[in-house]
Amino acid sequence: MGHIRLQRVTKRFENGFEALSEVTTEFAAGSMTFLTGHSGAGKSTFLKLLIRADTPTRGQILVNDVDIGGLSAARLPLYRRHIGVVFQDHHLLAARTVFDNVAMPLRVAGMREREVARRVRASLTTVELLGKEGLLPSHLSTGEQQRIGIARAVVTRPRILLADEPTGNLDPDLSRHIMDLFTRFNQVGTTVIVASHDIDLIETMGLRILHLEDGRVVSDRTSDPGTQSAAQSDQADSVEVGS
Amino acid sequence: MVGIALALPAGLWILQVNMDEMSAQWEGRPGLSVYFTLQADNASVAAVQGYLEEQQNIDRVELTTAKDALEEFKTYSGLGSALDLLGSNPLPASLQARFAQSIGPIEVESLMSATQALAGVAEVVVEKTWLERLNELSRVVSRLGAMLAVLFGLGAVLVTASSVRLAIEARLDELRVLKLVGATPGQVRRPFLYFGAIYGFGGGVVAAMLIAVTILVIEPPLQGLLGSYQQTLDLAGFDPLFLTVLLLVGSGLGILGALVAVGQRIRDLEVV
Repeated sequence: MGHIRLQRVTKRFENGFEALSEVTTEFAAGSMTFLTGHSGAGKSTFLKLLIRADTPTRGQILVNDVDIGGLSAARLPLYRRHIGVVFQDHHLLAARTVFDNVAMPLRVAGMREREVARRVRASLTTVELLGKEGLLPSHLSTGEQQRIGIARAVVTRPRILLADEPTGNLDPDLSRHIMDLFTRFNQVGTTVIVASHDIDLIETMGLRILHLEDGRVVSDRTSDPGTQSAAQSDQADSVEVGS
Repeated sequence: MVGIALALPAGLWILQVNMDEMSAQWEGRPGLSVYFTLQADNASVAAVQGYLEEQQNIDRVELTTAKDALEEFKTYSGLGSALDLLGSNPLPASLQARFAQSIGPIEVESLMSATQALAGVAEVVVEKTWLERLNELSRVVSRLGAMLAVLFGLGAVLVTASSVRLAIEARLDELRVLKLVGATPGQVRRPFLYFGAIYGFGGGVVAAMLIAVTILVIEPPLQGLLGSYQQTLDLAGFDPLFLTVLLLVGSGLGILGALVAVGQRIRDLEVV
């Protein structure tokens, strides 16, 4: 599960701007990939197409061999329940507590409140914020808010985790911490795709890097694996999500 | 706004129900009045009275003699002393005949012509009684109520839709997140349908209160008016069934308004 294939995907907007051009690539189930590129290179459009917030002008996106462009309005919500999404500005609801923010995907899925509470606690434990579930997001630091966003994204144990510039507002230490969290989710089998322009950090992760320029994939390589090992050995323990 | 929109047609419905009730209780029926010439003698009057009483279409005939007419006029006009100055009675005798319920317009016309031709008759007037006017007014109110129900119902839907739109705009961030985490269209719509139902229900409550206040205000003078016609007023229609229907209609219109507002907006809402 979590296998993604893009076949000659093009996205052209009404104003004529082509955000993605003939992109063909594949993400194995359980893989972790960074999407890099300058602003406007097509990273966000790439992720939007994956969560079916938009559809390709041409081409197909196959997730587990299902063309998501052909999903009906009734099946689209079910598809999205298998995807976790993290944004740079985390999209937390200011008037809801941390608990309610994280619980939202579970309640939408119709889970019983007892199970909701158990999973929310597990998810908050993973992002090291257990004990803050009664607070409002505004009472947390930027880094903590970002981790709440991650907790919400992974609380349903999604097959695919997408992140759009998740470290954009964070200092280097917090950025590293967030990236390590994604690595840990990947280690339990989640397909992770992270769009980021933080190339210095990404180069130390030892993972696949897909570089976009003007909507085209211009390089597809793996960064220094030695650095990746060092990073992952620090975080080898206690992966709560998916347990 | 929804309360006012519901109160008008609902109030007219109550008015129409009571007018129907009133006309059903009313003892008077349409009839004709026969006015004699001043020269008509008692024999002529008696002959015409006899003729009318023989007719199957006539239910009852009452005679007002010239003397009775003068006394009645003195009593109600306050011109008694002035009339005393006249040497003779200026008022003619008259007959008031009440039709049987089954009489049709052709028979009325025929009876009128025949009576007009009798000796001593100056004028025959077919009366459209107060009751007939009441019935016609009731029909007007009924149709007006139906039209207003449609128009104001539409207004209630649009007002609710407008309020729901505002509620949606205030919660756009939440709706985007809901769609992002896999909420179905039904799940996204549901809170707004509840909002519409509660809004419409509240409108129904306001409408009921407005109607109740209106009844309280108009009941005493209406009692007085009907009392002068020897009628009593027992206002009907404002009962538990009416209130239940009013609240259900209010809630229904609220839900309809919410559906109008939510449909397009939620479908086109982008998740990011």
